[in-house]
Amino acid sequence: MTQPSLLDSTRTAAKLALQKGASEAAAGGWQARHVEVAWRDGKIEKVSEATTRGLALDLYVEGRYVAVSTSDLRPEALDRFVEDSVALARKLAPDPHRMLPDPALYTGQAAIDLQLEDPSHASLDSATRRRIAEELEAAARSVPGADRILSVTTGASDTRAESALVQTNGFEGTRRGTDFWISAEVTVKDADGRRPEESAASGGRFRDQVEPPAAVGRRAAGRALARLGSRKGDSAVLTMAVDARSAGRVVAALLGPLGAASIQQKRSFLEGKIGAVVGSPLLDLTDDPLVVRGLGSRLYDGEGLAARKFRVFEGGVLRSYYVDTYYGRKLGWPPTTARTSNLAWRLGDRSQAELLRAMGDGILVTGFLGGNSNGTTGDYSLGVRGFRVRGGALAEPVGEMNVSGNQLELWKRLTAVGNDPYRYSAMGTPTLVFEGVQFAGN
Amino acid sequence: MQIRYFERFGVTEALIAETLAAALSRGGDHADVYFQHRVASDVGVEDGEVNRAHASVELGVGVRVVKGDQTGYGYTEDLSLPALLECARTAAAIADGPSRVAPARLHLAPALPDRYPLVRRWEDVRPDEKLPLVAALNERAFAADPRVKKVNVYLRDESGAILVADSSGRVVEDEQPMTLLFLSVLAEQGGRREQNGYNVAGRAGFEFYSPDRLDRVVREAVTRTTILFEAGPPPAGEMPVVLAAGSSGILLHEAIGHGMEADFNRKGVSIYADKIGKPVARPFVNIVDDAAPPGARGAINVDDEGNAAGTTRLVQDGVLATYLHDAISAKHYGVAPTGNGRRESYRHPPLPRMRATYMLPGPHETEEIIRSVKRGIYCANFSNGQVAIGAGDFTFYVKNGFLIEDGKLTRPVKDVNVIGNGPQALERVDMVSNDLAIDEGGWTCGKDGQSVPVSQGLPTVRVSSMTVGGRGT
Repeated sequence: MTQPSLLDSTRTAAKLALQKGASEAAAGGWQARHVEVAWRDGKIEKVSEATTRGLALDLYVEGRYVAVSTSDLRPEALDRFVEDSVALARKLAPDPHRMLPDPALYTGQAAIDLQLEDPSHASLDSATRRRIAEELEAAARSVPGADRILSVTTGASDTRAESALVQTNGFEGTRRGTDFWISAEVTVKDADGRRPEESAASGGRFRDQVEPPAAVGRRAAGRALARLGSRKGDSAVLTMAVDARSAGRVVAALLGPLGAASIQQKRSFLEGKIGAVVGSPLLDLTDDPLVVRGLGSRLYDGEGLAARKFRVFEGGVLRSYYVDTYYGRKLGWPPTTARTSNLAWRLGDRSQAELLRAMGDGILVTGFLGGNSNGTTGDYSLGVRGFRVRGGALAEPVGEMNVSGNQLELWKRLTAVGNDPYRYSAMGTPTLVFEGVQFAGN
Repeated sequence: MQIRYFERFGVTEALIAETLAAALSRGGDHADVYFQHRVASDVGVEDGEVNRAHASVELGVGVRVVKGDQTGYGYTEDLSLPALLECARTAAAIADGPSRVAPARLHLAPALPDRYPLVRRWEDVRPDEKLPLVAALNERAFAADPRVKKVNVYLRDESGAILVADSSGRVVEDEQPMTLLFLSVLAEQGGRREQNGYNVAGRAGFEFYSPDRLDRVVREAVTRTTILFEAGPPPAGEMPVVLAAGSSGILLHEAIGHGMEADFNRKGVSIYADKIGKPVARPFVNIVDDAAPPGARGAINVDDEGNAAGTTRLVQDGVLATYLHDAISAKHYGVAPTGNGRRESYRHPPLPRMRATYMLPGPHETEEIIRSVKRGIYCANFSNGQVAIGAGDFTFYVKNGFLIEDGKLTRPVKDVNVIGNGPQALERVDMVSNDLAIDEGGWTCGKDGQSVPVSQGLPTVRVSSMTVGGRGT
């Protein structure tokens, strides 16, 4: 007996939707193999290993719409589920804006090999994962000052995922990808009983993009030890540098409000800002789905639209929103894509150390804790930890502090961008420096 | 032995027994198998029309093998014997030797408590009943205030069950309903916009939506939004913080709840490690984590390891009392499990997790607490919080509140993150009122990539000083 391919079973699901009364449908099938090894203080803590699958369907029934998903793929169960879903759709009010994308937008996929699947995945065995996890811990415990370490938890995980998308107005696509991650978390003992923790991670689409475990383990331990003796600083308006690894948190506050759904629902402080200056000239970034081996790379998006590179901010001016088919139709705008792929920043030419030297006095934020940013008004208030910067160099660690303000002011105060994009996130943020940020502390 | 719910999926005593035998075949100490079926449905209103619905089915099984404090785990959506045996063998490899114990003969666990009795089961509620409910809420929100410009309503319901069987032979099935109603409002005034909302959730059927509750949903969603036009940021810095009764339980969730999850203490990475039996708060402070509040979102009849779930005392008369345990940590500490072993789904092994966390009433009066503050903030409701387990720093984000000036609530405040350190904040809880309320909102707690539903509650409490992420002085 041979298993039908994922594309075949997804086609069958789309066909089933039409048979049961949908006028149009999008079917998305997926399956993934995921393996994870967690290691702690000299032995394995957890091994999890599974092959998992699911199916999602968007059903368009006589101008009405439902979106459903299931992991119960037994044929009789699926049959009944689709039947019930179509019946549910018939109860709803019609929505003239719901329809599959214009098939013209399916065409023109880039003719490049994005290299998202590492063929060596199959040869990765449990002994190797275990050895990586062990090496991470050994490296963490090898740094000077390691006698302060209370615990080291490390991990190696990898996924091989495959998905298929079938839309009944003429789109079919499949994609496969792998990713590999290693990480270390280190807890150290402070003199007053606190047990600060820090971590480091590395990963990529291909195994050879992952840093050596020794480097990652040492980095995690170094970061944790640097937290010892952390104190709350005084409330003040200061220059804030945000470390590349953490800066994604600040940028993420722009992404929700850039979405067409937020704009159409009047929940975006970026509404009406196309062509307007939103940030300093250094706010300059492009959505680029076509990066070879990129974590967010794709040839087509979740709606089947051919992926294209486009400018989001150019010299501080807002150039484009993220527009999906549905909210685009509601707004009368052509779709771009619903979700970010890889963000490519126009980078500066200085390292973080050089930026801190130029900054002189302020705080380097290395981590955020909780807080939120109001997408409607742009007001934000975020917990932070990091280091005081004095005389252009890192000084004492600080924590238990907050930064607050409004996004529209914040981005105008972006005064420097580093040359150090964070490689282990599709957001690719470099170190960012903002002037005049309100810190709350003592 | 009669398998009730999962029989329809072909789950039999023999299937479970063979799976558990394979799970222990390499020398594990303990094994369990967790079947899950969850059917969720939601209907929504946007721009005045009930024109969207979602439905989902999750069906799957996870097999876990424990050796000491090590875990092997495998899961699948395929409930056939060969698929289950493959999961079991994968999980079994956490041990590496000959089989040492065989699973005991299966038997049904004693009857569970009935903490979420249903009047109207969701399986029996037709869309024709749900759609008018959300449509009416939409209209009422618009009618409540002319400044309301956009309204979103979502009604979600879940039904289904779990089955846990373990190598001690115990088999438990529990049907676990859930419902959540979410009303979000966008209002405009003088060219400004503000957005807020209100949500309610519980393990209940359609009867949950009483006229009283629906009135409250509309009133709270609208007033919590429109008051934002008068609100601004509070000053920045340290000041007394008064937490309103109810959802302020987020303080406990972040300041102590996570830090008391025994896995973090077993590993020595929590700021509360080695503090059991030590005073951590004033003698009038009592904090519990409780599986039993009837119909609460965080209530469970049994945990996801099949253990009885009751009331765990985190702090008793100011003294740190009991960690929140799953089976692994309970064995590590040589204590009975506390029924806190929970998981998001069959894709995850259980971890020690909170259920409904709240503080018991104290000796002070609410008025007296507010009157006592010369200059500080009063926090009324919240959107989210977070904690660093080892350093102890934690935050909660205040969506609505007031300044307190000379003992009175004055200017409304909004959108402010408050940050503190867990043990220090507990020590600084110096007044506790008698007005305990468990919040009816739809809280979800995240840990290690797993989300579980929780509840939280608090009487009005004063924390003598925390850092308020405001602006200016």
